[in-house]
Order: sequence, then C-alpha cells, then structure tokens
Amino acid sequence: MKQPDEFYIGWEAKAAPGIGKTIRITVGGLLAVVVVAAIAFALAQRLITDGVFEWGHLKMVSGVLESQPYPHLLVTRPGKVAGLPGFSSYYLVAPWKFGLPQDAIAPFAGKPVTVKGTLIYRGGQTMIETKPEWIQATAPSAPAITPTPVSLGRQTLTGEIVDSKCFLGVMNPGQYLPHRACAIRCISGGVPPILVVHAQDGSLTHFLLVSAAGQPVNQQVLNLVAEPVEITGEVVRQGELLILSADPATYRRRK
Amino acid sequence: MGIAYISVQWNRQKKFYDAVLVGGVAVYLSVFGALTKSLFPFVTDEIMLMRAFGTAAFLLLHVILAIGPLSRLNPKFLPLLYNRRHAGVTLFLLALVHATLVILTYHAGSTVNPIASIFISSPLNGAVTGVPFQPFGFFALVILFLLAATSHDFWLANLSAPVWKSLHMLVYFAYALLVLHVTFGVLQGETHPLYVGATAAGLLGVVGLQLVAARKTRPLDEEKAPDSGPDGFVDACAVADIPENRARIVCLSGERVAIFKYDGKVSAVSNLCQHQNGPLGEGKIIYGCITCPWHGYQYAPDTGAAPAPFVEKVPTFKVQVRGGRVFVHPQPNPAGTQVEPALIAAPATIL
Ligand code: FES
Repeated sequence: MKQPDEFYIGWEAKAAPGIGKTIRITVGGLLAVVVVAAIAFALAQRLITDGVFEWGHLKMVSGVLESQPYPHLLVTRPGKVAGLPGFSSYYLVAPWKFGLPQDAIAPFAGKPVTVKGTLIYRGGQTMIETKPEWIQATAPSAPAITPTPVSLGRQTLTGEIVDSKCFLGVMNPGQYLPHRACAIRCISGGVPPILVVHAQDGSLTHFLLVSAAGQPVNQQVLNLVAEPVEITGEVVRQGELLILSADPATYRRRK
Repeated sequence: MGIAYISVQWNRQKKFYDAVLVGGVAVYLSVFGALTKSLFPFVTDEIMLMRAFGTAAFLLLHVILAIGPLSRLNPKFLPLLYNRRHAGVTLFLLALVHATLVILTYHAGSTVNPIASIFISSPLNGAVTGVPFQPFGFFALVILFLLAATSHDFWLANLSAPVWKSLHMLVYFAYALLVLHVTFGVLQGETHPLYVGATAAGLLGVVGLQLVAARKTRPLDEEKAPDSGPDGFVDACAVADIPENRARIVCLSGERVAIFKYDGKVSAVSNLCQHQNGPLGEGKIIYGCITCPWHGYQYAPDTGAAPAPFVEKVPTFKVQVRGGRVFVHPQPNPAGTQVEPALIAAPATIL
C-alpha cells in the first residue's frame, strides 16, 4: 500500500498544501451545511403560535371576581356586541407554575375588585397573572353581573389537555409532548386545565375541565396531559367560558 | 509526568481551527435565531434559544462523530482530529445552555425541585408520551460534562491512555441517548418530515461511517501471525514493502507493531501512541523522530522514547534484516528500551 507523502503536523504553523486544500474544501462544505440546516430547521417549525405574555408590564383590571370552578374575573365589555355576553371572563392565575389559592381569594368571591397583574392572551382568551396581595376590593360601581349557566347538552370531544397558562402564551409553544412535564407541573400547581379542540378549519375551542360535580380536576387529569384524549360529558356555557363536566376516570387516551 | 501535557502550544492552525468552530456555531445560532424571530414574532426568547442551542449541539455532535472514521478512511482529514476536543467542549457548553433553559422554563417554579422534576414530571404511562425523554437528555449531558472535564491532556496522562480512551468512547452512548431524547421529545411535537428525515440521516451517517472505517481497518487484525523461526524472530514483511521514512503495520502475537524504514535502517516499535493510542505506523519520520499522525507526538525510532523534555515512551522490538526481509522478535521490550536498528545493506557489502 502506497502512503501519500504529505503529512500533517498540528504543531507546525502551516499544513502541507494538499492537506490544506482538502481541509479548506471540507470546512467550506461544513459551513454551507450549517447555514442550510439553520434555515431549514427554523422554517420547518410549526408549533409556535400567536400567544402573548406581557412579561414586565403590569396592568390594573377591574371586574367581579368569581372563584368557581376556577378563579376568573368578569370584566364589563365596553359597548354591546351582538351574540356575546356583556362581559369578558379573564382567567386568574399566580406567578410561576401555580394557580391562585382558593382560600386566599374566597373573601373576594362574587365581589367587585381591582386586580394588578400581567396579561396573557391568545385568540379571544385572556388571563391575568397576579398575586392574592394584588387583588383589592372596590366599591360596587355597576349592578352585579350574574352569568346564568346554559347547558349545551352532552357531547363527546377529542382534544388535548393543556395547562391554560402556558398554552395561552407564557410559553410559546406551550403544548404538545415536549411541554408535557411543564404542563403536569402547572396543572398540579393549580393552573386551570383546559381541553383544546381543533376544528377542521383550524379554529380552536377551549373547555375548562371540571368533575361531574363541578369541582376542579387538577390532580386527576395529570396522566393524560399533552396527548389526544376523548372526553364525554355535559357542556355548560357560563358567560364566555365553556365548561366540560365529566368524571376524569372516564377520559380515554386516543391513538 | 507533569510536563507531558503542555506539548501542544497555540499556533496558527490551532487558531484557525477554533475560529472555524466558534464562527460556525455563531453562524448557526444567529441564522436560526433571527429567522425564527422573524417568522414567528410571538415565540418566547427562551424557547427560541432552547431550540437554537439544542439543534446546534446535536448537529455539532454529528460532525464530531464523523471526524474519527473520516480520518481513518483518509489521512487528509487528520487536521480535523487534531483539536477535536475543542469541538467536544463547545458541544458540552451548547448542551449546557440548552439544558439550563429547559430547567428554568419547564421545571423551575413549581412544587418540586427543578432537577427532581426532570425525572418525575413526565411519568411513565404505557404510551409513547410517557417515554422519559428528558432523563435521556440529562444523562447525555452528564456524560458530555465528564468528557469535557477530562478532555485536557492532564487527565489523559493521569488516567492512562487506555482508561481515558474507554471513558471517551462513552460519547457513543451519549449519542444514543440523544437520539432517544430527540425522537421521544421534540419529534413528537414538531412533526415536519424534515426533522425526522434529518435525525434518521444523521443516525445512518454516523453508523455507516463507522462500519466503512471498521471494514477498512479490520483485514490488518485478521492477518495471521507469521510462523516464528528457531531464534524466535518472525518474518514480518519485505524491506521493499516499507516506503522510506514511513512504516508498515504488522500484527505479531496479537499486538500491532509499526516497522519504520529510514536512513538505510529499520526499527520496530509498538503501534500505539502513548498520547491517545494513535496509530504510530501511519505516522512519518520527521526530524529523525517517528511522528504520530494524530497530534504529532514524537518518539526516537531506536529507543521508543520521546525527545526531552517529554517523557512518553513506547515499547520497542528487536529487528533483523535478512535477504531483503524484515524479521521482528514478537516479544516487546519495556517501553523506552534502546534497540539497535537493523541495517538494510549487510555491513560486508558496504565498502
Ligand atoms: S495519539 Fe495524540 S499524538 Fe499520538
């Protein structure tokens, strides 16, 4: 076997010309691969949504605090929009991976309050990240709003259980399998679990998940987060919120 | 032992290597980051960075794994091998940034410890969603840390080359873990065929290159040890088979021996470089010394010892030249033992 007589020695200042040429071609090729890969990998992403977390911007929002089934704020809508209730429902959660503790907000339940916090929104859904000490009771300014629950009947829905906080924009993307661990942490910390249903036309519908008795189900849904599930239960419209009540033991994993 | 590892100093080639390495990584990160930001303006920065650093690390690992077999197939790729450890340390740093962002984003700020969360937050559930892809990544990072931390020649010298070498073979285990990490992680969410295709192509490339390179080096191992004569010397090869200032590698009683021809003489030493077990027989005699093709360590052909102040020594073998053939005694001498080189022309014929 004849060996090439050029020989590379790294501690010498310059490589032999033939070796230098091979290396320059290889390095050039590698850099081209690097650029093409960066472009292709960036373009092929599909999970990033239009969710927004206004991190670092605190706002004051006034409304009526509702604690059931999950803490939310009813905010009067300026002007009347046909087909929509006269108020919006903003979910309320705590910082990091926690929901607002029920005992801390119980004194405000059903009462007008002003909430200081950071807005999180995606599509028509809004959430406020706040703390119990940032909620202040205010004097009633308008007649109390009492959303009447309307039953939409028994339905079978297929979708993904997500933690509403990350899904709406704190993380983007904040759903699907890579996000499973985080969703499990958030939901077990009290962030409301929602079922996201994708329609044929690409639109999304969100259902707050509660037990058959209307109670939070955070601890019972953890094992079915971030994957396709089928849930059959009673759907109720309460103001802007769609609430799906079903016994979590009857949720089924879809393949 | 102390001075052996300061042998390789900074020079133009080394700077070029690092410039290409750092430049390539920077180009990847900025192209990926800028494009992601402009295509998806709502993406959160931590996730954009997590993806940029994660994909960059995985890509760089493929490059690193390709360098070994490529330079076995063609010595012209050896310059890439020279400072491969710099690429390894860079790989670890990229992976560390990725992992730190993952822990801060997905695991911090809940009821459990963020590190514990890696292991318990995505429990087994009998479905593909329960495959523990985050622990795979965690263990791969631990291995990459170990390899980066011991990459300096100080550790090579203190752990001994065979131990160091087997430790660094763990990079293949880390790669396997990372293929699982990617397959059961991001590929379950980002389902564009490009990602699946690129991961599969990478795996095929890494495995394929290894197989091709192994096939090329295998015949040597299978070479039967020649029968030994009554004096114990065995017929190794013809003098004419060895190019001037180069070697021929033969396998004698299970050990690879490099037989060098230079200045009308023949010497035989162990084929294994003391630095990282590089193949000395693929090296060259330069300035009178056997020079390892991998990182340029040098040994005197007759003593197997590195020139002062270096202290590496390799075993030597007794050699004879008879009738145009080289005979080698398969019993290695202790490393650094002086052996008289065999003269190619019989002394009587020199007038
Ligand atoms: S293996 Fe590094 S110089 Fe020989």
